[in-house]
Amino acid sequence: MPNGGSNSAVAVWSVLRKECRTEWRTRYGLNAALLFAVASLTAVSFAAGRLGNRTDIMAALFWIVLLFATLASMSHAFVREVEARTMLLLRLVATPTEIAVGKLLFNLLFLLVIEAVTVPLFMVLMGAPPVRWGQFLAVLGLGTVSLAASSTLVGAVIAQTRGRGALFAGVSLPLLLPVLAAAVGGTREMWAANSVAPSLKLLGAYAVALLAASLLLYDHLWED
Amino acid sequence: MLWRILIFVWLSVWMVVALLFAPQVPVLHETTRVLYFHIPAAWIAVLALGWGMLHSVLYLVKRDLNHDDQAAAAAELGVLFTVVATVSGSLWAKRMWGSYWNWDPRETSIFFVLILYIAYLALRGSIEGDEKRARLSAIYSAIAFVAVPFLMFVVPRMYEGLHPDPIINNRGKVDMDPLIRICFFMMLIGFTALYFWLQTLRVRVTRLERRRELARGI
Repeated sequence: MPNGGSNSAVAVWSVLRKECRTEWRTRYGLNAALLFAVASLTAVSFAAGRLGNRTDIMAALFWIVLLFATLASMSHAFVREVEARTMLLLRLVATPTEIAVGKLLFNLLFLLVIEAVTVPLFMVLMGAPPVRWGQFLAVLGLGTVSLAASSTLVGAVIAQTRGRGALFAGVSLPLLLPVLAAAVGGTREMWAANSVAPSLKLLGAYAVALLAASLLLYDHLWED
Repeated sequence: MLWRILIFVWLSVWMVVALLFAPQVPVLHETTRVLYFHIPAAWIAVLALGWGMLHSVLYLVKRDLNHDDQAAAAAELGVLFTVVATVSGSLWAKRMWGSYWNWDPRETSIFFVLILYIAYLALRGSIEGDEKRARLSAIYSAIAFVAVPFLMFVVPRMYEGLHPDPIINNRGKVDMDPLIRICFFMMLIGFTALYFWLQTLRVRVTRLERRRELARGI
């Protein structure tokens, strides 16, 4: 297969483009996710008030908001295909791995959009102290990759179950706990002006491990 | 049949020796004796997790439903032993530390193991069709296998430890009264045998259930 690599890349790219286009047509998933992120953010800021210098609590609340937004919305990339009965068609034109990688990239993009809204809003509403952006974005980026990788695999599994969306949060949580712990740790250290390197290493290693395992497992997702 | 009797006698004998004759550790007093029950149960909780994950990966490679039966049985028994370890540890913690739950690193880890088992079984319960259930739950088990070592690494950094290290201490050697040590290892062997016996029972029941369903289908 001399052209195998580039063919796969084309397939992944088409899946990603198709995802973005269907999402953009209705913006249903995105609206729901944004609304949920803003709602949980509002709930958190109403419940906690202005935390001022308690950056440790702020770091925890920040990642809980992101985690909830992920758990609430990230299963829809695959669930949507099953509900619209388009999964079979999609599988005719691309291999399982190509589909899953395309969806993974879409999920990554989706999370970035949610974060682009949630992060500034959180900082303003919670009265967060100045952020060291380089370190913060590194923690956020690696955390996002892990969230997207886990959600893509679990989302694909959950779409084939009886309850579909209902189980997604519960089944995802064990996989996301290491991300939550390391990302909260990194964010806290960033605000405390300590080194974020240990948390970054952990987040990076976990993201790589999840991605590698996902790539091995995508092949087994569907079967006839 | 022979196994069943052997395990019963073995566990009974060592339980009596452990509860009546083994000495107490100074600070722990009578609560020393939770050791013979709690640690073997926790060991089985982790062993069953590893056993289930191993068979999940084997299923993905070989596509033999026997491996899925093994994984499912391991998860069910894992819940049982995890609950036993958690409850016995929690009761001990109330006596020694003053509260049932402290989010000590080991409490956190065992809690994680428990929700992993529950999530796995919930997932299994929601999938129709043997092959599909086996495949999808094996995928989940395999990806969870990636999460476990990270959690074991993350958790001790987050919480301060209170949990004693009675088996292997900081100096890295076994530091126990000889009789305590013997009782402990004998209970460990007994629990392990008990687990594998229950495991084979559960797998046999699953096979019988499948045969019955096949017979009904025809």
